[in-house]
Amino acid sequence: MVRLITHNLLACHAKGCTTNNFPLKLQGIVVEVREAEFNAEFLRGFLPRIEWTALVNAARELGDTSLPTEMPEMVDNDFLKNLHHVLLEMHIDEGAMICPNCGHKYPILNGIPNMLLAEHEIG
Amino acid sequence: MAPAVTATAVDDVDPQIYEDRHVHAVYDEIAPHFSSTRYKPWPIIAQFLASLPTGWVGLDSGTGNGKYLPLPTDRPGSVWTVGLDRSRNLLSIARTAGGNNVIREVVWGDVLERSWRDGAFDYAISIATIHHLATWERRKVAVQRLIQAISPTHGRALIYVWAVEQDGLSKRSIPRDQVLQTCGQDVFVPWVVTQGQPQPKSAVHTSTAPVFKRYYHMFTKGELTSLVHEAAKELELTVGAKGDAEGKRGIEIVRDGWERSNYYVELRRWECR
Repeated sequence: MVRLITHNLLACHAKGCTTNNFPLKLQGIVVEVREAEFNAEFLRGFLPRIEWTALVNAARELGDTSLPTEMPEMVDNDFLKNLHHVLLEMHIDEGAMICPNCGHKYPILNGIPNMLLAEHEIG
Repeated sequence: MAPAVTATAVDDVDPQIYEDRHVHAVYDEIAPHFSSTRYKPWPIIAQFLASLPTGWVGLDSGTGNGKYLPLPTDRPGSVWTVGLDRSRNLLSIARTAGGNNVIREVVWGDVLERSWRDGAFDYAISIATIHHLATWERRKVAVQRLIQAISPTHGRALIYVWAVEQDGLSKRSIPRDQVLQTCGQDVFVPWVVTQGQPQPKSAVHTSTAPVFKRYYHMFTKGELTSLVHEAAKELELTVGAKGDAEGKRGIEIVRDGWERSNYYVELRRWECR
């Protein structure tokens, strides 16, 4: 199942689409929440590498407003629990990701995003 | 008698069509059987994954059945590896690799595409994948995609491909007549679906068991390292250690070698401020 941890890494790669191709907009999303084992050390380590604004906005698109707009200076356990939930517990089963630049639609089916391009779209 | 590995050549054919026919279609057909034979992590790869700091997120480009996604086994959940593969059927298996009700992150895509935000990953592995690409150019592009996907300041990558030089334990024997010193060898390696396994419709049926032919480019000594050099050069990255090399950014080949019928290269990206 694809979660926001992966969404934070994906960019559009359609022919000629090289700017404003991240993050992909979420559309028609069906989410299932599934518990995942909490690992505070992992989250602390990963935190600086997160594209924060993209994550916060994607979470909000899925109805979760627990994350602050700015990455906090001091990180406490409550924050890490919210981050854990957003990154690793909201499974996107169905929907699509749309490129804000070229409009290309990457479908998500049975929890697996399809990043394949049609032949005419390959750069 | 087991069907033999046969030499082949990729000529006058669109490499994408060649790969669709001789790699992608085959893996989708044999996925569950193939997966059942791929379960033991190779030591150098397991060691690489075990050496990663907690919090790192990486890419397994050509994850297949997701064998490496649960590693390292002694620190589960300390790093996250996202699996990319071209075979939808193998990805369905990779999704739950390692069991224990843990769901893996998997993406259906092509290793030649730039599907990722540049520098997004801390590490990337490419295990037994790029040897399925039909031209030197495509194999070079695949290496470039790995380099582009990892952090320019600290990204690490490990690439493993099949070698022409097979060891005694290997079940494969590679025809040697057409081996060119620098160019490796294109072959079809048979996959036999044995009794009791799901019988796919499209295999060539022999009197004993259906056989699929998979395309591989077997690498020769030095070829993978050369490929990495060329890939980096084209990306305007110096090849060498950070202190010694000229240039503002580059890759260091941490180690390269041959292990159990495979060539491997481990590299690290660096940047000067």
